[in-house]
Amino acid sequence: MNPNNKIAGAILSDAALSLFHKKQRETSKFKEGCSMPEGKFCNKKPVETEEELKALLGDTGGKQYYEEMKSLDIDHELLWKTIQNTLKSRMKTWLEICAHCGMCADSCFLYLINDQDPRQVPAYKIQSTLGELVKRKGKVDNEFMHMVMETAWAKCTCCNRCGMYCPHGIDMGIMFGYVRGLCYQQGFVPWEMKIGAGMHRVYRAQMDVTDEDFVETFEWMVEEYEEDYPGLEVPVDKEGADILYTVNAREVKHYPEDLAEAAILFHLAGENWTVPTSGWEQTSLAMFAGDWAACKMQVEHVYAAMERLKPKRMVGTECGHAHRATVVEGPYWAGRSSGKPPVESIHYVEWLAEALREGKLKIDPTKRLKKPVTLQDSCNYVRNNGLKDITREIMSYIVEPGYFMEMSPNREHNYCCGGGGGFNGIGLFRPQRNKALITKRDQLLHSGAELVISPCHNCWDAIRDLEEEYKIGIKWSFLKPLVISMVEIPEHLKPKE
Amino acid sequence: MFKKILFATSATEACDHAARVAFNMAQSYDAKICIFHVLGVPTRGFSQVVLDVKTKEEVVVDDEYIAWVEEEIKVHYSKQLETTRNFEIKVAIGLPHREILRAARELGPDLIVMGGSTGDDEDSVYKKSLVGSTLQRVAKVAPCPLLVVNRPAASFWGGMSNVIFGTDFSKASDAAFRFALQLVKTLACELHIFHALDIGSMHLGRIMTQDEIESNIRESLRRIRGRYIPEMKDVPEYDFEVWEGIPYVEIVKYAREKHADLIIMAHHTQKASREDTRLGSNIEQVIVRAGCPVISINR
Repeated sequence: MNPNNKIAGAILSDAALSLFHKKQRETSKFKEGCSMPEGKFCNKKPVETEEELKALLGDTGGKQYYEEMKSLDIDHELLWKTIQNTLKSRMKTWLEICAHCGMCADSCFLYLINDQDPRQVPAYKIQSTLGELVKRKGKVDNEFMHMVMETAWAKCTCCNRCGMYCPHGIDMGIMFGYVRGLCYQQGFVPWEMKIGAGMHRVYRAQMDVTDEDFVETFEWMVEEYEEDYPGLEVPVDKEGADILYTVNAREVKHYPEDLAEAAILFHLAGENWTVPTSGWEQTSLAMFAGDWAACKMQVEHVYAAMERLKPKRMVGTECGHAHRATVVEGPYWAGRSSGKPPVESIHYVEWLAEALREGKLKIDPTKRLKKPVTLQDSCNYVRNNGLKDITREIMSYIVEPGYFMEMSPNREHNYCCGGGGGFNGIGLFRPQRNKALITKRDQLLHSGAELVISPCHNCWDAIRDLEEEYKIGIKWSFLKPLVISMVEIPEHLKPKE
Repeated sequence: MFKKILFATSATEACDHAARVAFNMAQSYDAKICIFHVLGVPTRGFSQVVLDVKTKEEVVVDDEYIAWVEEEIKVHYSKQLETTRNFEIKVAIGLPHREILRAARELGPDLIVMGGSTGDDEDSVYKKSLVGSTLQRVAKVAPCPLLVVNRPAASFWGGMSNVIFGTDFSKASDAAFRFALQLVKTLACELHIFHALDIGSMHLGRIMTQDEIESNIRESLRRIRGRYIPEMKDVPEYDFEVWEGIPYVEIVKYAREKHADLIIMAHHTQKASREDTRLGSNIEQVIVRAGCPVISINR
C-alpha cells in the first residue's frame, strides 16, 4: 500500500460523511427538545459563526468549557453508529492483530520521555481507548471520554513513528487521528482545537484572517521590500501561472516577513507565480481537531482556487501539517479518486531544491553557513511524504561543507519536535507538552549544532518554545531568510542607486 | 505638520524620555497622540497564550487582560495624560516592530515616536528569534518620519530653534531634506546643513593627504550649495558646514556646538548586513549618541 495514503482509510467516505452530518443535525434537533446536557461552549455542535467563535474565545483558557465538559453526555447511539460506519477493515484488523509484543514502546518518544510508563506504550494507548470503544460498542461514560481525549491529544502527536517499528505495520498515529474524530463528534476536544476548527469553518483559515487581510498584508510586505528588490510584486489571482503559492495564516497574522521572503525568492528565481485571493490557506487545524467535515471544507476551498486559476503547480509554504492536509490526505477528504490534488502540489523544500539545483537561485559560496547546523525533519512531509533527501540536498547548497551535522536519529526515523498534532497549542496539556520537548532538546544538544533549520511551522514553534523553556542556546530558522541572506541577486534585478 | 503622532512605547522607564517629547509635541502642536503598546509576543502557534513583555510570564490574553494593560499604561502616563486632550491607547499582540508598522499603516501618523533601546538582556521577549532591534526594523521601513529619543539628555523639546540636517547626498537624504525644510518653515527655526567627510572606514588602509581632504570638503560644500541652497529662499536663517572625521561623531559634535534641538537624517533602505546587526549605520550611531531627538526618514 502506498504509505502516503495511510490516513485516507481513516477518513470517512462521502457517503459516511453525509450520514454523519445528517445524524449530527438530528442530534442538534434532538437536543433542543430534550434535556441532554450540552454546555454553552462545550457541546457536540461545531462552531459555525463569527459570534460563536468570539464567544468561545472569550471563555479565557476554556475555563467554563472544560467545566461543562465534566457533565457532557455521550450520545452512545451516534458514537456506535459512527464507529460501525467508519471503522474500516484496516483499522479493525490493526486492533485485532496487535500481538502486544511491545515493539512500538521504544519507538514512541512520549513513552521514552515519561520514564517508560507502560501506559505510554502505543499499543496500550490505542487498545485502552479505541479498542475499548469498540469492545463496549460505544457505551462509555464521561470519565472514559476524558481519558480518551487526553490520550488522543496529550499522549500522541500523530507522528506515525510507531507504525514504522511495528512488525505488523500498525500505525497508532493514524488510529489516533481517527479517535480524535470520534472525540470531536462527542464534544470531547481541547478548547483550542475546537476554536481552530471553528476558525476554518468561519474564515477558511486557522486564524481570524480574512481574504482581504491576506491580500492587503501581502501587498504591504511587497511595498516594504520593493526598494531593495525593484520590480518585486505579488501577482494576485493570475490565471495559468506556473506556481500557485499557498501559505499558513500565521504568516499573515504574525510573521508577514515570510510572505515578503517568499515573494523575493520567486522574484529572484524569475518564477511566474501567483496567490489566490481566496483559498490561500494551506493548513488545517481541523485535521488536528478531528473535525472531519471542516477538513473537507478547508481543502476543497484550496482545490477550488487551483481549479479557478489553473496553475501548473501549487507550492505550499514551509509548513509540515499543511502539506499533509492539502497534498497528502486532502485528496481523500475531498473524495478525489486520483488521490491527488487538482494540480501537482509540492512542498516549499521541493521548489527550493529545484530552484537551487537548476540555478534559478544561485548561492554566493562565501555566504554559506559556517557554523554547526542541523536540520529538523518534519514528520508530516518526511516520514509521511518521503522528502528526506531533498532537504539534505538544500543543506548541501547552503551550508559550508563540514558544518552540517545530523540529529540522531534522523530522516524518517526522526522524533517529533514534541509539539506536533496540535500539542503546541493546547493550554490544558502544556505541562505534558513541555516534557515532550525534552526529546528534541536532547537531540539538539547531542548534535552539537548552534542553528537548527526547521522548514515546518510546528517544529519551528516547538523549538522556539523549548529554547524558552530550557534555554540551551539554540538558534532556529526557516529556510527562506537564510537563503535570502546568501542568494546572489542577478545584475538586472539589483537596485539602482 | 504634526497632527497625528504614534507613540510606540514599552510603557517602561526606557521610554520615559521619549514620552516627554511625544506628549510635549502633542500639546504644542495640538496633535492627537496614539499611545501604542505591544503587550506580548504570541508564544504558541495558534493558541491564545502570550508571553507578557514585562513579566516574561505566559498569560492567556482576553479582553479583561487587555483592559488591565491599558489601565496600567494610563497609570504610567497619568501625569502627562492630565494635560493631554486628544489621545487614545492601543494595545496589540505580536512582534513589536511588525505591530508598530501595522499600526502606522492603519493610522497614517505624521510622526512615529520611539524610545531607544530598552537595554534588555538577552532573554527579552522583544528579542526572540529576530535579528536586530525593534527600532532598526521600524526605522528601515517606517512610512513616515520616525523620531527617536534615546538619551535622557535628548528629551528636551520645546521652543525649538535649531535643527540639524545631516546629509550624505543620497536619494534618501533628499527626502530628509524636504522634510527638514518643511519643518523649519513651519516652526520658524534655524536650519544647519551638515555633511561629514568619512576619513575612517571608507579609505581603510590608505591615509588621505590633507590636500585630498580639503579638496573633498570643497567639493562637498559645492554640492550643498548646488543642491540645497537654491531651495532655501524662504528660510531666514541657515548655515552649512562640512567636517572631516567619523561621520556619526562629527554630527554629534556639530549638534552639540549648535545647541541643536533636533537632528534629521536619512535612513538608508539598503539592507544592513546580517553580521553587523547591532546599530550599524551612521544614523543608528547618531541616535545612540545624540543629545537631542533624532528624526529618521527613509523615503
